Amino acid sequence: MAVSFPKCPSSPLPPLQTRNRAWLSPLSAPLQVGDSSKWALLEATKRCHLCVSATNGGSAVAPVEPSKKVQDSGPKTTPTDHSTKVENGIRPTVLSSNEFQDLKTGPDNSGRESTVSITVVGASGDLAKKKIFPALFALYYEGFLPKHFTIFGYARSKMTDSELREMVSRTLNCRIDQRENCDAKMEEFLKRCFYHSGQYDSEAHFVELDKKLKQHEGSRISNRLYYLSIPPNIFLDVVKCTSLAASSENGWTRVIVEKPFGRDAESSAALTRGLKQYLHEDQIFRIDHYLGKELVENLSVLRFSNLVFEPLWSRQYIRNVQIIFSEDFGTEGRGGYFDSYGIIRDIMQNHLLQIVALFAMETRTSLEAEDIRNEKVKVLRSMKTLEIDDVVIGQYKSHTRGGVVYPGYTDDKTVPNDSLTPTFAAAALFINNARWDGVPFLMKAGKALHTKRAEIRVQFRHVPGNLYKKCFGTDLDRATNELVIRVQPDEAIYLKINNKIPGLGMRLDRSNLNLHYAARYSKEIPCAYERLLLDAIEGERRLFIRSDELDAAWALFTPLLKDLEEKRIAPELYPYGSRGPVGAHYLAAKYNVRWGDLGAEH
Amino acid sequence: MTILRFYQRPSSLSIAFSSRHERSFSGSSELVTLTTRRNQCWRFSPLKSSNGSPLAGASWKDDGKEMPVPKVPDIGSQLAENTVSITVVGASGDLAKKKIFPALFALYYEGYLPQHFTVFGYARSKLTDEELRHTISTTLTCRVDKRENCSDKMEQFLQRCFYHSGQYGSEVDFCELDNKLKEKEDGKLANRLFYLSIPPNIFVDVVRGASRSASSPNGWTRFIVEKPFGRDSESSSELTRCLKMYLIEEQIFRIDHYLGKELVENLSVLRFANLVFEPLWSRNYIRNVQLIFSEDFGTEGRGGYFDHYGIIRDIMQNHLLQILALFAMETPVSLDGEDIRNEKVKVLRSMRVLKLDDVVVGQYKGHTKGGKSFPAYTDDPTVPKGSLTPTFAAASLFIDNARWDGVPFLMKAGKALHRRGAEIRVQFRHVPGNLYKRKFGTDLDKATNELVIRVQPNEAIYLKINNKVPGLSMRLDSSNLNLLYSERYPREIPDAYERLLLDAIEGERRLFIRSDELDAAWAIFSPLLRELEEKKVVPELYPYGSRGPVGAHYLAAKYNVRWGDLSDSS
Repeated sequence: MAVSFPKCPSSPLPPLQTRNRAWLSPLSAPLQVGDSSKWALLEATKRCHLCVSATNGGSAVAPVEPSKKVQDSGPKTTPTDHSTKVENGIRPTVLSSNEFQDLKTGPDNSGRESTVSITVVGASGDLAKKKIFPALFALYYEGFLPKHFTIFGYARSKMTDSELREMVSRTLNCRIDQRENCDAKMEEFLKRCFYHSGQYDSEAHFVELDKKLKQHEGSRISNRLYYLSIPPNIFLDVVKCTSLAASSENGWTRVIVEKPFGRDAESSAALTRGLKQYLHEDQIFRIDHYLGKELVENLSVLRFSNLVFEPLWSRQYIRNVQIIFSEDFGTEGRGGYFDSYGIIRDIMQNHLLQIVALFAMETRTSLEAEDIRNEKVKVLRSMKTLEIDDVVIGQYKSHTRGGVVYPGYTDDKTVPNDSLTPTFAAAALFINNARWDGVPFLMKAGKALHTKRAEIRVQFRHVPGNLYKKCFGTDLDRATNELVIRVQPDEAIYLKINNKIPGLGMRLDRSNLNLHYAARYSKEIPCAYERLLLDAIEGERRLFIRSDELDAAWALFTPLLKDLEEKRIAPELYPYGSRGPVGAHYLAAKYNVRWGDLGAEH
Repeated sequence: MTILRFYQRPSSLSIAFSSRHERSFSGSSELVTLTTRRNQCWRFSPLKSSNGSPLAGASWKDDGKEMPVPKVPDIGSQLAENTVSITVVGASGDLAKKKIFPALFALYYEGYLPQHFTVFGYARSKLTDEELRHTISTTLTCRVDKRENCSDKMEQFLQRCFYHSGQYGSEVDFCELDNKLKEKEDGKLANRLFYLSIPPNIFVDVVRGASRSASSPNGWTRFIVEKPFGRDSESSSELTRCLKMYLIEEQIFRIDHYLGKELVENLSVLRFANLVFEPLWSRNYIRNVQLIFSEDFGTEGRGGYFDHYGIIRDIMQNHLLQILALFAMETPVSLDGEDIRNEKVKVLRSMRVLKLDDVVVGQYKGHTKGGKSFPAYTDDPTVPKGSLTPTFAAASLFIDNARWDGVPFLMKAGKALHRRGAEIRVQFRHVPGNLYKRKFGTDLDKATNELVIRVQPNEAIYLKINNKVPGLSMRLDSSNLNLLYSERYPREIPDAYERLLLDAIEGERRLFIRSDELDAAWAIFSPLLRELEEKKVVPELYPYGSRGPVGAHYLAAKYNVRWGDLSDSS
């Protein structure tokens, strides 16, 4: 199977998942996608047959008690379908427990069921509580987790299983569109959650964990996923212990790592080297939760499944691309971690750069993860190393508005008083390849700004020989088309076009061709962590960062970061809640760009 | 600035600019709205169009300094003041009552008419001015968004309306009209516009009478003519020849009210003012174009005129073909009327003559639905029993030029169909080497992009794109990038007649059909029309309220096309 890798000769889980996803009867689909996509549904069901049967065709996979449909279509298909199988499934909606019964795994090659154990290392931390456990529960609630699974919390604090459950239960909630049975589901879910207390660097403690895991796994094929929700300095300790003492013996073992992946090219490479002492590349799942965002996922779809965009996707038509991230709050007493990294490492070098790579990559050979990552690496390696002249940094200062005093960054108790750490940065990047030569990719990320948003803006060039020039006034820049992909909040895609204002005159304005997600898709959009956890369980690596990608990303930013630190460049101060430092405008102006988010229309 | 005040009517639309308008002109670039400078666009540019009477035209279209503005009546007139007299010939007719007078009133209400103007009704029936005013007043309405002062305005408007009764063929009667007009014009520079709202067989009589006896002595005289412009190439060129005995080309304004529709106007803007569309506008990316017109009612007792012409002459050869020409033309040198018409003629002349094989005709038959029975076309008492006149037609046309070679342009027009609407659909080709092929199932045709310009009702533009359905899986669906006019532009969209009347007054010919355009349009359709009649081709019957004859699908399928309006639920 496509998802199998050397260490794990048989990986029964992914196929099972695929099957789950595929198991959709059109009737049970709460799709809410409007009439126009009825066909999609029908087609989707047809496709399911294909992908399910594809998994059946796979050699290493246990043929499961197949439903009738599957049996019918099974023999007709060929194993070559495997390339798309993982994503190919459709949203399974809720698999009721009955349906789960139907999925009872039959005897596989070794006559055993498989199970997955998810161990959250650093279970008492904030991320675990706020994101990971809720995401796991959401996956369980929606029926994406395999029938048998175990969740373990691992941390140093002494806690009982029920204390963990109590802690976890406080942050679980149900998706707004499906509240039925929530309590019951939560109860069931919590019963599968356990806690093990131990030191992060103690192999002995991990041996104990291993024993507990085995107990829960029973005789099933065990697959193990470790989520390292811990500070980076103990990554290696934990990885060492888990791989030596608590790896699965007959299934796969995967490790999810969160940023920061080092502070620069060297430390990142050292970390990678360290990880690779104990893990294969395909066991490492470096998460960048931005890649799990719905609209970032959609970026490729938009581009490659529509004829109308791809012809425009080059320097010939695109004038500049802007990737904008802003938060409307500061560090708020949690600046300790942030201060040693700064906004460039925290947001730009990973999230925004990943988006650039996805945006700018060449058409890949297939939808397979390695093909995407290959193309992304190519983009990153074609990029010009960032220079200090092309960067503006800022730091927010305190500001009083309407009687409320907003603190400066250095007012944060966890931040040194003389900190030069940027809380805002803008940068102009260039991709020196045939497609993008000369097109500025502008990035901007900041805390304590006037809005909270993340968006991609594609500004198109002027219309050559514009007949309507005179109707636009003097500022032709305002008359260019712009494609905006708003990642958050209020997911939307819109294309700004020039349009005639209805009426007897010939006045033009810019209107939007809109796709507002909330209006079109009434279903709640899943959290990025759900997608990424599920992908990790399924072995789908598309949204995870490969080591060479990471190296290439660091290579772009490291010289700049060193420069900033060595020269002790003072960031430009901007008031809390403002639009950021003026320098960002000068930087944009240098490349003849205007920030689209600060345009008059907002 | 004065001329701007002239355009800047208080309206909800102008939110974006009205309050900041002055600033925008003094150089501030804060303005979102791209332009308020109607005078910088084609309209009112003094040099562009060569109209019948340059002097008067120029003063109308001057840069505005001396322009008398309706709302600023005391502005001094250094030049001889000018006036326009609009004579509606056939004032007692239906079109005049329902469209022309209301459109004139709307123009007046919105301040688009010059300060001094006179409206005359001319017809055979004996009416007094008061009677005319009374008839008109029943159909005048104010735009929904601006009801203030409506009755005052109406009163003022009606005071400018007069009636003159006369025979259409009588020069003497037109002389009398001329005297009356002169009286009202009161020594001002007189411009005269005649709107011929009369049957085509008396066009020439009226034109002769009016041009000989009631032309303006010092200003321009223009004639607006409505379809039908003949029944085929010969009769059309005969009509043109006769008109030209009395008029020069510049005086003839052949109206095609579809060209006055907002979204048809917008078609060129969309295409030429946006970078994102023009690269796609060719056979490289466009698979087919569909021009669809449907009405959900039949002739309803007024089939007399229609039966003589049929749907092809009534809708296709003019409205749909005009839209097609606008859609497919090359970039014009400028937005000037002549430049646009030059390009349109080129498209029409590049088109293949329509053959019978590429046409399907239909006629609606009676149908009973939910206990209610709908009449057949031939049940209409004004229609001959054995009539073969098509009430539905579908045709595929081809433009044999470099840009459009091989792209089918499908037209469909019909009465008594299941819905009412007019739209342009541009279906794009498949994505080459589509990575997401498997996500679409077997029918890749459903996964192509489509640009829809809905002309009526509910004006809208939308682009169908493939999108990922939010959720954990990778399912795609087709969503719309939408621009719904009613949401974006809350103001009522002016009626096509308002625009066209204003254009005629202003001498803007962009939306009127030139004689050579008309000839080229007839040349495409005449052989087919003759064949249909000679061979007495029997139309395929379709039930009243249905989706039209099945033949239309076969025709589309022949060119590997599916009608977008029948598969699109939106």
